[in-house]
Amino acid sequence: MEMKILEKGTKFQEPKITPNDFREWVRDKKPRVMKDKVMDAKTAVKRFVKNGDIVSISGCSFVRIPVAILHEFLRQGIRDLYVAGGTRSYDVNMLTDNGRVSHIDPGYIIGLEVLGIPKMTRKIVEQAVTKGELTLTEWDNASMAWRHKAAAMGIPFIPVRHMMGGDGFKYSGAVKVECPFTKEKVVLVPALYTDVALIHVHESDIYGNARITSGAIVEDWGKVRGAKRVILSTEKIIDTEEIRKQPSSTFVPYFYVDAVVEAKYGSHPGNMPGCYYVDIEHFNEYMKACEDMTGKALKEYYDKYVFSVDTFEEYLQKIGGEKKLKYLEDLEFLKVKPGGNSQ
Amino acid sequence: MNEEYNAMELMTIIASRDIEDEKIIYVGTGIPMLVTSLAQKTRNLKITPIFEVGGIGPEMPTLPLSVACSRTTWRALRAADSSEAFEIAQAGFADYAFLGGAQIDKYGNLNSTVLGDYHAPKVRFPGSGGANAFASFAWKTMIIMNHEKRRFVEKVDYITSPGYLDGAGARERIGLPPGTGPYKVYSTKGTFDFDEKTRRMRIFALNPGVTVEDVIANTGFELVIPSKVRDTDPPTREELRILRDEVDPYRIILGRGEA
Repeated sequence: MEMKILEKGTKFQEPKITPNDFREWVRDKKPRVMKDKVMDAKTAVKRFVKNGDIVSISGCSFVRIPVAILHEFLRQGIRDLYVAGGTRSYDVNMLTDNGRVSHIDPGYIIGLEVLGIPKMTRKIVEQAVTKGELTLTEWDNASMAWRHKAAAMGIPFIPVRHMMGGDGFKYSGAVKVECPFTKEKVVLVPALYTDVALIHVHESDIYGNARITSGAIVEDWGKVRGAKRVILSTEKIIDTEEIRKQPSSTFVPYFYVDAVVEAKYGSHPGNMPGCYYVDIEHFNEYMKACEDMTGKALKEYYDKYVFSVDTFEEYLQKIGGEKKLKYLEDLEFLKVKPGGNSQ
Repeated sequence: MNEEYNAMELMTIIASRDIEDEKIIYVGTGIPMLVTSLAQKTRNLKITPIFEVGGIGPEMPTLPLSVACSRTTWRALRAADSSEAFEIAQAGFADYAFLGGAQIDKYGNLNSTVLGDYHAPKVRFPGSGGANAFASFAWKTMIIMNHEKRRFVEKVDYITSPGYLDGAGARERIGLPPGTGPYKVYSTKGTFDFDEKTRRMRIFALNPGVTVEDVIANTGFELVIPSKVRDTDPPTREELRILRDEVDPYRIILGRGEA
């Protein structure tokens, strides 16, 4: 029996990391001992990230994104990144705004969903695409989720029943075939193995046994399980005994994880479900900076919040410190109205 | 209560009236969130909203700002992941999906990716997000957008989400799950459905004060015009009150209708 290839996306390419490459990496490099992996963000990025990496980022848009780790990317000059782009926004904007990305597999990029489209960010992406400095391979949130999932499963591709009806297929790296079993037409999307995944969670022990205790999981099971290296940042470090008491609550076990970074409020200005809500005032400031089409205001924004500070703790002071963070916690639990005062 | 209403309020209210009870609805970011939330609050529906990154059956106490924001899992039945959310739709549970876009054509194909040349974009939009999968899997796709000639075009610059492609039978021929496709379009001018034979967009009902000529003048393609066109009732005071006071009190999305 043979599988008939009907059509190929124009961005079809051999995978950069194959399932067998990944298996060998897992055999040789992934930890089998529960050892203390706690380190600061600076050390984690220095040790586990290099220019040109294929990177995936946790959460979605401005929800449960690893901002503390991304600040280190910016400060350490990490560049030439290949970004897995299912449902991205502020996180990937931080990288594209600063010229650090050479390729994106977008599902969703640039826009801050309900909060609008930052104009300067959009201009930067449009210009980079036109100049050929940034290449895009079109996917969508479903195919990206399944590409991460396929990597987690250790397989080379997964068949899906959408994508065939749009121009996205044409600009994708997908392949349309006739199913050998049902004779239906299906689209095969390649597994997306990455060099590094940046994952922000609610709780982890010092070994990387971690939990997401609230909110949607997004594509994060796949992102963690299909990455050669995983940097985990966590709101809180908990005792392994807590994990053992409730094993069905564990999001991932330690052997996927390479670094554990304690980063309370590590998703700010994003929302961390069950902890703190979106800092709308801060996003308004970012959006306003993006109104200046010379790019000067946006540069000042990053200078103020990222390049002129040394640590994430220092950044948290700049955005309003304890008072602001308490307000965002109250907002999350509807104890205060937007713009109101916390008790 | 101001009896006047803006374009966004009008579209939201009219679309929300069509949401059927006891159905599973995939809710995209932006206006679809308003519509679903309004339907839940005005008519006390027992619908199950699903958000593409994993929120299943939330109560949405306030307008979500993102498809992942904690309001999409607030008192929800389950917080799943993206693959599961899309797998549920692929397996046939998605009764309705709600989408918006920058351009639409006569077959209900939607563009939310790019204006102009793909390789040298005049405007780059965020792209598909979950839209292509929603439009492929949902039994009925509902579309909401501003009615302007530059948006209702003969041919979209890029098909992000498939409508009926180039006519009847095209979806099935290309391999999409049979029996799916655009169901209704809600615009600032009226409500539109699709002719069963040709799958071309047809006027279904006119918004208050809008004439057929007005719709034609603002549409960049030839619409199917039935012998009888319904008139849509204007928003009621109660609908406006709930929308303004409870669904989007800070006018995060409603404010855009003023432009």
